[in-house]
Amino acid sequence: MKGAAIQTGAKLGLLSCRACGRVSQLAHPAPAGVPLLCPRCDAPLHHRVPGSLQRTWAFLLSAMILYVPANLLPIMSTTSVFGDTDHTILGGIEELRASGDWALALIVFIASIAVPLLKIAALLLLLVTAQRGSRRKQLERTQLYRMIEAVGHWSMLDVFVVVLLVGTLRFGAFGAVQPQAGLLAFGAVVVLTMLAAGSFDPRLIWPEEPATSATHD
Amino acid sequence: MTEPVLDVTAAAPYAAAAPRTRAALVARPDLVVCNECDAVHERIDLRRGTVARCRRCDALLGRGHVMPVQSLLAFAFAALLLIVIGNSAPIVTLDLRGVISQATLPRAILYTWQSGQPLVALLTAATALVFPLCFTLLRLYVLMSLVRGRVPRGFVPAMRALNFVTRWSMVEVFMMGTLVAVVRCASLTSATPGIGLFAYAALTMLLTSILAAGTHSLWKMGSELGPTR
Repeated sequence: MKGAAIQTGAKLGLLSCRACGRVSQLAHPAPAGVPLLCPRCDAPLHHRVPGSLQRTWAFLLSAMILYVPANLLPIMSTTSVFGDTDHTILGGIEELRASGDWALALIVFIASIAVPLLKIAALLLLLVTAQRGSRRKQLERTQLYRMIEAVGHWSMLDVFVVVLLVGTLRFGAFGAVQPQAGLLAFGAVVVLTMLAAGSFDPRLIWPEEPATSATHD
Repeated sequence: MTEPVLDVTAAAPYAAAAPRTRAALVARPDLVVCNECDAVHERIDLRRGTVARCRRCDALLGRGHVMPVQSLLAFAFAALLLIVIGNSAPIVTLDLRGVISQATLPRAILYTWQSGQPLVALLTAATALVFPLCFTLLRLYVLMSLVRGRVPRGFVPAMRALNFVTRWSMVEVFMMGTLVAVVRCASLTSATPGIGLFAYAALTMLLTSILAAGTHSLWKMGSELGPTR
């Protein structure tokens, strides 16, 4: 870090509202247990969101459990003159690749396989390091958090694709698509990882320095 | 870009113990506190096209890109029009030896519900249709009052709801999903992208430019015009 020491909101009694951006200053220490509400929009104000790690853990563990059926169960089945076929997420990517659509196969692979896995791994890393109050690679960890917040909803791609196929491929015995249980599990994984990322307070990556002004590396 | 604030407390009046929690919070419009690492910065005016980033964690603190309310209102009207078109016109048309099959988004959602996956249908309806629609309607509602210099009734709940639907709208992902679906259909039959697909593509670009402006300027405008509650 270059320049002078950074002052923090927690040290100066300044609270920024995460809903509307208003900055409030505690004119005197607040009595414990009284919730502080943003004067502009009534959203609760905290230096660090309480229970953030527990909630993130809960959403993340649920997502990890559902990740298994999401990938093992078929997300859709197709009816055609050649009979019925079940399709998993990986199977769908393989079909795209086999039919020569390399670019699309890559997009679906990134959205459906790589993004959920990286999100789960990144959230695990953020949770464990935040819990230990680690001060290593804080900038990089904050950037990692921003990245999973930005790409998280792209995993919904496969859900939309199946819904659209169900809506368009309706030729009865000559070709039809039905959604299957794996799709619900997959959609739940996407929602749960988004909830997990949303529950994680990135300020936990930056624990307060001890009162005796320690220097930052 | 911003100077560190070293002695902020000295400037703050130490009020006598106030009876209510709300009274104990003094507004500090001269400061910005980073929402991602809690670092304190002095607020500066940003020129057009510049952005302010946190000195400690590089988070985006603000953009010098304030579109006039009139333009934001026009964008919201355009978005509403595109949502209506995107949901009434077919997204893709299939032709299997003369048998035509067309699908609009609401019908695809309905068929998914009827095929035994109501929760998937609800999830798709919410993220691709209802939340983008709420996003647009809420913005229209708030902006139509702000453009006349008034604070709309229920400004705070409307803006908080706007935060929520912004987070859960997935128009751009849906747009990419339609492209993938069209290509996968094309390997089986003759598939033609419909008007609905183009409407959603235009909506994606429109929403991106709307979102770039952020909501902090609306909050600021609302609270400057009068009491928000």
